[in-house]
Amino acid sequence: MGYGRFLLKRGVQGVGVVWGVVTVVFLLRFITPGSPIDTVAPLDASQETRRQIARELGLNQPLYVQYLDYIWELLHGNMGYSYISSIPASVQVFQKLPATLELAVAASVVAIVLSIPLGVVSATRRHQPADYAATSFSLLGISTPNFWLGIMLVLMFAVELNVFPTSGRAYGFMQSLAAITGPRPFFTVVTAWVASLFLPAITLGTYFTALITRLVRSGMLDELSSGYVRATRAKGLPETLVRYKHVLRNTLVPVVTVLGLQLGTLIGGAVITEAVFAWPGLGSEIIRAINARDWPILQGSLIVIGTGFVLLNIVVDALYAYLDPRVVAE
Amino acid sequence: MKIGPLSISPRTIRNLRKEFRSSGLARIGVVLIALVVLAAVFAPLIAPHNPRTQNLDRAQLPPLGFTDTEQQTQTKIVDGSVQTVTRNVTVNATATYPLGTNALGQDMLSRVIYGARTSLLVGLLGTVLAALLGVTVGLTAGYYRGRIDDALMRTADVSLAFPSLVLAIALIGLFSRFQADVAYRVSDPLVTSGLAGWFRDMVGLPTPMPETFVIPTVVVLVVGFVNWVWFARIARGEALSIREEEYVKAARALGGSDVRIVFRHVLPNAITPILVLATIQVAAIILLESSLSFLGFSGTTLSWGFDIAQGRGYLSSSWWIATMPGIAIVLSVIGINLVGDWLRDALDPGIEGEGGM
Amino acid sequence: MAEKDTSRRRFLQAAGSATAAVALAGCSGTGGESSPTEEPTDTSGDSMQTTEPQQTIERPEPSTRDGYLQRANRHCHDQAPWVFLHRQYSVYGVSDDINWQPRRDERVDAYAIEPATDSGDSAVMTQSQMDSGLDPQDHRETPTDNIVLQAYEGLLERDRQGAIIEVLATDYRRLDETTVQFTVRDNVSFHSGDSLTPEDVAYSINRIVKESVGIASPQSDQLVGVAGAEVASSDDRTVNVNLTGLNPIVFQSFATYCDIMNKSWVTSHDNAYINQNMEGTGPFKLANYEQGVAVEFTRNDNYWQEAAALSGFTINAASESSTRVNRLLAGESDIIVNVPPQEVSRVNNNDGTSVSAVPSTRVIFNAMRYDVEPFVSPLFRQAVNYAVDLESIVQNVLQTFGDPTGQPTLEGFFGYNPDLDPYPRDLDRAEQLVEESGYAGAEIELITPIGRYLKDVEIAQAVAAQVDELPNVTARARQVEFSTLVSQVTTGKIEDKPHWYLLGWGNATFDAVQTIQPLLASDGALTSYKNDELDRLLDEAQSLPSESN
Repeated sequence: MGYGRFLLKRGVQGVGVVWGVVTVVFLLRFITPGSPIDTVAPLDASQETRRQIARELGLNQPLYVQYLDYIWELLHGNMGYSYISSIPASVQVFQKLPATLELAVAASVVAIVLSIPLGVVSATRRHQPADYAATSFSLLGISTPNFWLGIMLVLMFAVELNVFPTSGRAYGFMQSLAAITGPRPFFTVVTAWVASLFLPAITLGTYFTALITRLVRSGMLDELSSGYVRATRAKGLPETLVRYKHVLRNTLVPVVTVLGLQLGTLIGGAVITEAVFAWPGLGSEIIRAINARDWPILQGSLIVIGTGFVLLNIVVDALYAYLDPRVVAE
Repeated sequence: MKIGPLSISPRTIRNLRKEFRSSGLARIGVVLIALVVLAAVFAPLIAPHNPRTQNLDRAQLPPLGFTDTEQQTQTKIVDGSVQTVTRNVTVNATATYPLGTNALGQDMLSRVIYGARTSLLVGLLGTVLAALLGVTVGLTAGYYRGRIDDALMRTADVSLAFPSLVLAIALIGLFSRFQADVAYRVSDPLVTSGLAGWFRDMVGLPTPMPETFVIPTVVVLVVGFVNWVWFARIARGEALSIREEEYVKAARALGGSDVRIVFRHVLPNAITPILVLATIQVAAIILLESSLSFLGFSGTTLSWGFDIAQGRGYLSSSWWIATMPGIAIVLSVIGINLVGDWLRDALDPGIEGEGGM
Repeated sequence: MAEKDTSRRRFLQAAGSATAAVALAGCSGTGGESSPTEEPTDTSGDSMQTTEPQQTIERPEPSTRDGYLQRANRHCHDQAPWVFLHRQYSVYGVSDDINWQPRRDERVDAYAIEPATDSGDSAVMTQSQMDSGLDPQDHRETPTDNIVLQAYEGLLERDRQGAIIEVLATDYRRLDETTVQFTVRDNVSFHSGDSLTPEDVAYSINRIVKESVGIASPQSDQLVGVAGAEVASSDDRTVNVNLTGLNPIVFQSFATYCDIMNKSWVTSHDNAYINQNMEGTGPFKLANYEQGVAVEFTRNDNYWQEAAALSGFTINAASESSTRVNRLLAGESDIIVNVPPQEVSRVNNNDGTSVSAVPSTRVIFNAMRYDVEPFVSPLFRQAVNYAVDLESIVQNVLQTFGDPTGQPTLEGFFGYNPDLDPYPRDLDRAEQLVEESGYAGAEIELITPIGRYLKDVEIAQAVAAQVDELPNVTARARQVEFSTLVSQVTTGKIEDKPHWYLLGWGNATFDAVQTIQPLLASDGALTSYKNDELDRLLDEAQSLPSESN
């Protein structure tokens, strides 16, 4: 099988998965208790008002009609309208997406910047203090619930020391960019933005920092003891070149795959991190939508997340297949 | 050693022993797990107080070694508007409540001890459920390959595309429809048998303990359902490789039924990675359970996550309410992860860090 | 006769809903009572069981609407369909940069805010959640009210004390039993510059009550007694509103809801647009709307009254109370809502901020379903009330940010019965009543929403623990999501409701009927109780004109 056909196949599978996500989300809505009418109508609304609202929301149609309608509208870029605010779900979801992306990217940056050096140091100085420090940190990191870590960070750095804001998102990336020319002082805006992003990014990033550190460490240990490394060493290549050019690169390939699979964990972590820091992103939106049974918003959010997950994994697979052609042959 | 149809070879046991002796971390892990298990099992014997008993006069006591200056605010109405009066009260810790008390005057130590029950129960039952489901799917897919494999693995892909926390929250809503109670209340045999009472009288802690205990059944079902994919992936991989082994081919040629072959030959060989994964999954599910309780999606108030959520409103006045249960979570999950590392190093099943928070 | 009866019932149902919005929909943690805390004097229940004697001895309670409502309250006190808890306080944190006094109906009107320092010229308010869209007629809960009321105005409104005042109407009166007339204010313009016409007023009313005109408005139940509106005379700027029957509190309803919108603006835009933009007559104009995050207003310099003192007003939200307090202390916010008792000292001790509290219109209670064992017995229900240490809950859980109650209606409301004291705690009597009820050994479970009302879970846990102290009753509390509880209590069927549940109810009409009708009358939308005597008292009350307005 050629590389192109491999990609095509993964693409088709990806479309199938997205369709599965849409269907599951749609079905979830019909088996979940708590009718959306309960949240739209006032508590003491008469049954007549409730019926009116059901008509207005199209909830009186048969299930398959609603499903086909939904798919049809979705293909036209319409995710329906929020039960609560009547605003198009696509507008509401994509408005919240940048905040979550910002958080996820910041957390990933934290994780990558910290974890790779930690993992490398840990593996190359095995059984030395640096290794013990790095392994202890990574053990703590994967064992700490991130909502609790967030609360403790707030307690220390926001309540006691008062160096970071306790919650909320100041400005954001786009507004910080705009401040270069805009009326607000650039430096103030960027400082406020970074300060507001700092604790949430650490909170979300810690688990992944710890996880990647462990992966890099054990992967490097495996590679360092493998035959080809001994061979290259025997050829007289400098040790640093061996380590960083060959060993680290080979280590990172499986790391990337695991991270692709952990993307769901990253988003799940973002949901709860956003809840702790009142971060106005997709995670807060999802919790709000679940509590309010605002299905169009929940559906929209899950579909966006699911699609993102599928796309990223196709990229990861493509990368993997490129680096390791055996995958294509399988 | 024989566990049902599965056997663990003497060599494996030797490896386990060797790694255990050489690794101090493994020993720490075992001790931590033992502590959590003991606390969970014998909670009604060792908890100093009934974890549900409130004493509003003793609310927000600090833990031993700390003194708290509490600002008590009262209101009074002057000309129809509400005025507030604040006075400072110094509150000292008492040995009666070593970890302090929460806003309702409940003993934090007893709540932490009882919380271990919820976490461990959900962790173990959830893992068993996830393993049963995932291993069945994975072995079926890997053994039969072809269309069945494709269908099952695409289902797994769809399931992976949902963040497990979000899926769990949505599913909890679903299950609560069929069962009005999201939790199942069982009587505590240690208490109803009178053992706890007898023991407590003997050691001078005559407080009556709760006679029932809540198992958050819906949470168990949901976390099991959410985490099956990891088991399916592992089991499938093992099945794929084992089915090509000569002895499996031979068994098939001899006309052995598929179920029999899978149980006699495939499953026993896949059991090591599944056990290691299961260990890691217990930790992952404990973290997931605490997240769910923290967000208010749980069936019980005796849960570490729930206490952290409650304590969050008191961070500025009583930091310990949110801190103590968090430490309990971290210690138990560390314990499980250490044991997981030990098993992995000893058994080398070839899996790495799967299963998320 | 039968028909007349039905329509009255229907009206009653309607009336009941008016309050609701503010009531349950409001967010967690506000509320309280205005009166000096009544000592729950030790009347140790001598009169509790026997309903009638006290009533006749103490006060005649005349055959007026007030009298019937007072008797209805006495009935509720004696029959104890609820565990009577407390009246919530609305507790705000306020920066010294502004001058502002809280209102009882939980609404924050930026027009009433005055800068105290230069930095107070533009103010920020942090509430517990954001709006559910900006359509002033397509919502009914406090957080959205607080956002739309800055830009939209109704015909009538209430002042801080709760009295009705004219806003976009210059006059209002009853023409006959089924017609009321409003005179629309002249020289008022919308933010776009269009002038306010009687046609806009009639359209706005019809948009709520007639589905064919606009939307399925959640406010329609509140104006159910209203059949429609039409312009009576464009020259006199009068609008006639037709009622389906006598409606003693029609003006109270108009003072709570029914914002006036610009007809041509509404008809030329779709719902999504109307929910993201504002076109009102109010003192502030929408400057920027970030859904779910923040709403920014600027001063309307063409306001028909004196322009607002603030040049700008921003509303954002944080669901965690500690987050709101931190924002206030950091100077990011000027007003924060729902400060919990444990945070009050932090706000007061901080330089430049203080707490401002007012008793709200919200009552917190535990409903006990009259049709299930053991709550079917009035003796058992009374016993639960005697078992609860309300004083301790108010003192320790709420740190006195609440006042104990002994009847559904709050003090200061029309129909409040001043002779009824909260139930005192009396465990012996409670135990004895349980024995007499025949339900000794009962096991009961209190369902509470989580995080909806100030300290709801803590209160429910305290109530359950106190009742559990009775040797012959086992009680516990279980928390559920608010939406789960809502889906159970709103089905219109009593069988779907939990047996024992905690709920809060705000009533911005200041009239007893809007609490008792929806919650306790046999055809109330949310009722947990059915009693012919109570129904009769309510029917009598609603057939009489109200002495208050």
